[in-house]
Amino acid sequence: MNRHTLRRGAAAAAVAALLLSACSLGGDTEADSSACPWEADESVDTTVRIGYQKIPNGDVIVKDQKILENCLPNATIEWSNFASGGDVIQAFGGGSLDIGLAGSSPSTRALSEPLNIPVSVIWIHDVIGSAESLVVQEGVATDIVGLKGKTIATPFGSTAHFSLLQAIADAGEDPAAYNLINSEPEQIAPAWGRKDIDAAWIWDPTLSELKSQGGEVILTSEDTAEAGKPTYDLAIADNTFIAENPEVLETWAKAQDYAVKQISEDPDKAAESVAVEVGVTTEEAKGLFDGFVFLTAEEQASADWLGGKLGQDLFATAQFLLTQDGIAAVADASVYAAGVDAGPAEAAAQAD
Amino acid sequence: MTRPTTADRARALLPHVVLLAVVLAAWTAVAASDLVSPSYLTPSPLEVWNAFVRANSDHPIGGGVDRIVRGEENYYLWEHLLASLQRIGLGLVFAVLVGIPLGLLMGVRAIGALLGPYVDFLRSIPPLAYIGFLVAWFGIYDTSKVWLLFLAAFPPIALATLNGVRGVRGDYLDAIRTLGAGRLSTVTQVVLPATLPDILSGLRVAVGFAWTTVVAAELVNGLPGIGGLAYLSGSQNKIALSVACIIVIGLTAIALDLLIRLAERRLAGWRGKD
Repeated sequence: MNRHTLRRGAAAAAVAALLLSACSLGGDTEADSSACPWEADESVDTTVRIGYQKIPNGDVIVKDQKILENCLPNATIEWSNFASGGDVIQAFGGGSLDIGLAGSSPSTRALSEPLNIPVSVIWIHDVIGSAESLVVQEGVATDIVGLKGKTIATPFGSTAHFSLLQAIADAGEDPAAYNLINSEPEQIAPAWGRKDIDAAWIWDPTLSELKSQGGEVILTSEDTAEAGKPTYDLAIADNTFIAENPEVLETWAKAQDYAVKQISEDPDKAAESVAVEVGVTTEEAKGLFDGFVFLTAEEQASADWLGGKLGQDLFATAQFLLTQDGIAAVADASVYAAGVDAGPAEAAAQAD
Repeated sequence: MTRPTTADRARALLPHVVLLAVVLAAWTAVAASDLVSPSYLTPSPLEVWNAFVRANSDHPIGGGVDRIVRGEENYYLWEHLLASLQRIGLGLVFAVLVGIPLGLLMGVRAIGALLGPYVDFLRSIPPLAYIGFLVAWFGIYDTSKVWLLFLAAFPPIALATLNGVRGVRGDYLDAIRTLGAGRLSTVTQVVLPATLPDILSGLRVAVGFAWTTVVAAELVNGLPGIGGLAYLSGSQNKIALSVACIIVIGLTAIALDLLIRLAERRLAGWRGKD
C-alpha cells in the first residue's frame, strides 16, 4: 500500500461521482410549440416549478399532454409529485414551488396562523363529489348516527377528514363519541380486510377497493357540499411568482381550461392521460371523472367560485379547522378573500 | 491445495439453489392461499417478476388503448436505481471529505474529547427525524436529500477513522519521527495508511446507513428514485411493483457491500498480518 494507489483510488472515486452526476435520465421529449392548442408564447424563459398530485383532474392531463411545455417552449417546466396536500404546503414553506395542487383544508392551513405562507388560490381543479365517500362494512350502520362508538379511518388533515367531521357535526353528534383513527389510504384496505375498522372516509383507488369488498357508501362529499361545506382540490401559487409572471399564469390557466373542456368534450383522450399519470385503466379513469365537478375558466371567474364565494368557503373551513385544532387562529375574513386570485382564470376566460 | 473442480463448485452451490427454490415455493403458496385479503396485497413471485419487467420496458397502458409508456413514471426501474445511487454517491463523497479529516483531527486527544459527544449525538439520531427541517432549509430537490444522506453517512466514517488513529502503533510513529518527518508527513505516510482498514470498514457501515436512509430521503419528491418508487407504488396499491423495488434495493445493498469488501481485501489485505 503506497500513497499513489491511495491517490489513484480517490481520483477514481471522484471521477465516478462526476460521471454519475453528469448523466441525465428519463425519456423527456423536446417541447413542440406547434403542438400547442393555441399560439405558443415564446417570450417566457423562466423556470416554473409545479407540485402535482395523482388525482384524476385536469392537472395530470396538462402534464401528460405536455401543454405547458409546448405552449411555453422556452421555459423550463419542472413537475414534482407529492403524496398529499400537506407535503405540497411544506414545499411552499421552504420556497421550493411556484404552483402546486392542494385540497381546500391544507390550502386553508397555509393561509392561516401559524404558517401564513404567502400564497394565493388561483384555480379550482375540481369540486369533490362522490370521489370521497364514507364507506361502511356490510350491515354495520346505515347512517352516521349508527356509527357511534365505531372505528372510522381517514387521513387526518385531508379534505375527507374535514367532510367526516362536518357530517358528524351536522348530525348533531360529538366527534369524541366516535373512534376516529388516522391512516394513510394504502393502509386502510388491509385494515378493512381484517375488520379492524368499521368505516372509512376515503378516495380512490382505496374507495373502489372497499366497495368491491362489500362496503356500502352511506355519505359522500357531495352531501357535505350540499349542506354548505364543499371541499375542493385547489391550485395555489406563490405571491411573488404571481406578481412577476402574469403571462406564465395566463398560459397555465388556459392549459387547465383546455384540459377541463377536454374531460367533457373528448373524455377518451382525457381518460388516456389520467390512465398514464394516475395508474388506472382508461375505463376506471372515465368512471373517476364522475366523482368530481370540473369548472371552466369562465365559470371559475364568476362570483360563485374564485370571484367571491371560495374566499367565504375558505373562511368557513378555517373556523372549522380551529375547532379541530388544525390551525392556531382564524384570520380575518378579508385574509381568505384576498387569498383568492381570480386574475389568471379571468385572463384565460377572456382569451377564449 | 488442489483447485476445486466444476463438480465441487456445483455441489457447494446446491444447498443455495434448494433453499431459494423452497423460499419461492413457500412464497407462491402463501400468495395463492389469500392469507391476507384483498389478494393484491400478496403478489406471487411471477407477478413481482412481471412488474419488474414492465418497469424496465416500454409497455402499453392497457385497457384497449394503444398508448405506450416508458417504464414507471417515465423512467425505467434501472434509472430509478441509478438516480438513488447518484444521491448516495454524492452523500458519501461529502461524508468521506468531512469524516476522514474530522476523525484524524479527533485523534488529537483534546479535540476528540471536545467533539466526540457531538458526533455520537448525530450518530444516534434517526435521519428521518431531520428530513422536515432539511426540506425547509434546502428545498425539495436533491440538495436536501444529499444533506440527509451525508448526515447519515459521516459519523460512522469519522468514528472509524478515530478508532484507527488510536490504534496506530507507537513504534511506527517513533520510527518515522526518528527519521526526521514533520507532522504532515507523519499523517500522510504512517497514520493514514495504517488507518485505512478502519476507514474502509467505516465506509461499509456508512454505505449501509445511507442506503437504508435513501427511502426516507425520497419520501418527498423522490422521483426518479428507487425509494420514491417503492413508496409511491405502495400508496397506489401496486404491491407487486413495491415488492420488486424492495428486492432490487436489497440486492443492490448486498452488491455494494461486496464491492467495498473487495476493495478492503485489495487495499488493506495486510491487516492482521503484521
